[in-house]
Amino acid sequence: MESLLTRLDERILSLKKASKKSLVAYLVAGDPDLDSTLELMYGFVDAGVDILEVGVPFTDPIAEGPIIQAAHDRALKNDTSLNKIFKLVEKFRKKNNDTPIILMGYINTFLANAEALKEAHQSGADAVLIVDIPGESNLKDLGIKNQNLASISLIAPTTSKDRISKICKSSSGFIYYVTLRGVTGSSDLNINEAESNINYIRSKTSLPVFAGFGIKTPEDAFNLGKISDGIVIGSSLVQMIHEQSNKKEFKKIYNYLHEIAEAISR
Amino acid sequence: MDNLTDLPSPDGFFGQYGGKFVPETLMHALNELDETYARLKNNPKFVEEIDQDLVQFVGRPSPLYFAKRLTDHYSGPQIWLKREDLNHTGAHKINNTVGQILLAKAMGKKRIIAETGAGQHGVATATVAARLGLECHIYMGAADVKRQSLNVYRIKLLGAKVHSVDSGTATLKDALNEAMRDWVTNIEDTYYIIGSVTGPHPYPMIVRDFNAIVGRELRKQSMEQFKQYPDAIVACVGGGSNAMGIFYPFLEESNVALIGVEAAGSGLKSGKHAAPLNDGEPGILHGAKSYLMQDENGQVVDTHSISAGLDYPGVGPEHSNLKDSGRANYIAVDDDEVLSSFHLITKLEGIMPALETAHAFAALEHVAKNYKSNQHIVINVSGRGDKDINTVATMDGISLD
Repeated sequence: MESLLTRLDERILSLKKASKKSLVAYLVAGDPDLDSTLELMYGFVDAGVDILEVGVPFTDPIAEGPIIQAAHDRALKNDTSLNKIFKLVEKFRKKNNDTPIILMGYINTFLANAEALKEAHQSGADAVLIVDIPGESNLKDLGIKNQNLASISLIAPTTSKDRISKICKSSSGFIYYVTLRGVTGSSDLNINEAESNINYIRSKTSLPVFAGFGIKTPEDAFNLGKISDGIVIGSSLVQMIHEQSNKKEFKKIYNYLHEIAEAISR
Repeated sequence: MDNLTDLPSPDGFFGQYGGKFVPETLMHALNELDETYARLKNNPKFVEEIDQDLVQFVGRPSPLYFAKRLTDHYSGPQIWLKREDLNHTGAHKINNTVGQILLAKAMGKKRIIAETGAGQHGVATATVAARLGLECHIYMGAADVKRQSLNVYRIKLLGAKVHSVDSGTATLKDALNEAMRDWVTNIEDTYYIIGSVTGPHPYPMIVRDFNAIVGRELRKQSMEQFKQYPDAIVACVGGGSNAMGIFYPFLEESNVALIGVEAAGSGLKSGKHAAPLNDGEPGILHGAKSYLMQDENGQVVDTHSISAGLDYPGVGPEHSNLKDSGRANYIAVDDDEVLSSFHLITKLEGIMPALETAHAFAALEHVAKNYKSNQHIVINVSGRGDKDINTVATMDGISLD
């Protein structure tokens, strides 16, 4: 029988087979510019990143801390639109056809481009993660039907148990567990709470559970990797990209990612 | 037409507008608020406590006042003023905060946050927080901190902390973004008092219900004072809480025209305005689907208005539904019209309206001619203008230093 697995399913399955934790890395498309974003995406993969999360900039990103907010502003000053991001993904696919790409952003930009999203898989995008909708909502509920585009849902420490079950049922790809109460880049990780919540989520779904928000050091990555199926790292990368945006010398970032990748496979 | 009074639906929709479009972290708190409000809103003790505060602390009912010289000026309909400017703290905003602070108390929250544009909601929130001895944080755009400095100082005197927000356009929408971020972070012990009929469900409903005292009083007062309901009610619309509060009890009275007035800023054609119902498209911002000022990529565009309280790219979802259903009409007046109206009302009636409220008065230039001398128009005087004298002086080229 022909396989109907998506690129994201395949990647997750192969990591599972190899008993490897997934490393998901986030960056904002168009910060400092789209050419750099493309270079960074290839560099991230070479440094050991398994799944790319490409931030779609929005004027009012309410779930982001100051670091990622500023990156959204810079990307918007460069006129980074969702259409340009589709083109970026298309370019990326010329040399990489197996690293899944998740588009992460806010609902108003996705709704404004609803028609384009119905074709988004053709550019090589694999999933969307919409930050400002409840966990159990997905693209289909919003009138955007595209079977080839997974909807990744967030579960938070405040999500009630009955809603966890609902969210698990409506999700595909993986579950993104938000490890803290706060915006991206905050710093009050609570490993014990994360562990018991992730265990509960696992009892409700066979989807892998990734942990994100607030992971800064290889130590954080190691601790969260131990209790989940993978980790998402964002603000610290966005900060380093910004620091290097004049010289565009990203080697330091790749070394950092390499350390993180090592830490979760320890 | 659906029965408009029965909206929102249980999941928070007014027709296609509204909803709960928020990060997952906030869902539990919103559901908790929804349940608490449903449990308390008809509880006799809760209702009695609010009513007592409205009478003894706020000073309700606010008068319905006949504006004789203004009526003579337009030589058309009889113009009546619903005097929300006479409330404690100087605007309608206190009606909502008096109610919401009791919800916060019932939910055991120890910390209060709010966003503010003109500062009136910030003052009204700091006031009720002070009264209960609760820690209070007010988020305000840096541009608004400057142009509403009097209110900033009032908020500080009341013991609240003012957080000046530099991100984005440094106005009301950015203050809301920052308040949401605070709420996501401090969700366990913090109650967010949203100041308008905006935001995720159940806020548009709760804020409307607490402000609906204005329309309920008007039903009674108009019958007593001119033996009928008004022919038209005019109110300014930013997020739309004062308008929703006075409109709501009249939604089923189809003979009462409801007219909302948005901020046309430098003119609707200039693009520099804050009039989403006149020149926006449906979109989603701050938790609800509603008319929104946005570009073709769904990015929220910069707004402009002389009044900080109306300088907001969105509007309450219920107003969006009232527009589509045709039950209410929404017009827009520009900064120049507002400034002349401010001077006119001050000189003719001895009432200095807030610049937000002056939008409703400025609408008389457009609508008064449609009514005859035996008809009655009510203007909702949503707030007083003391806070705006610096802005008015600057616009008039006068230095107060």
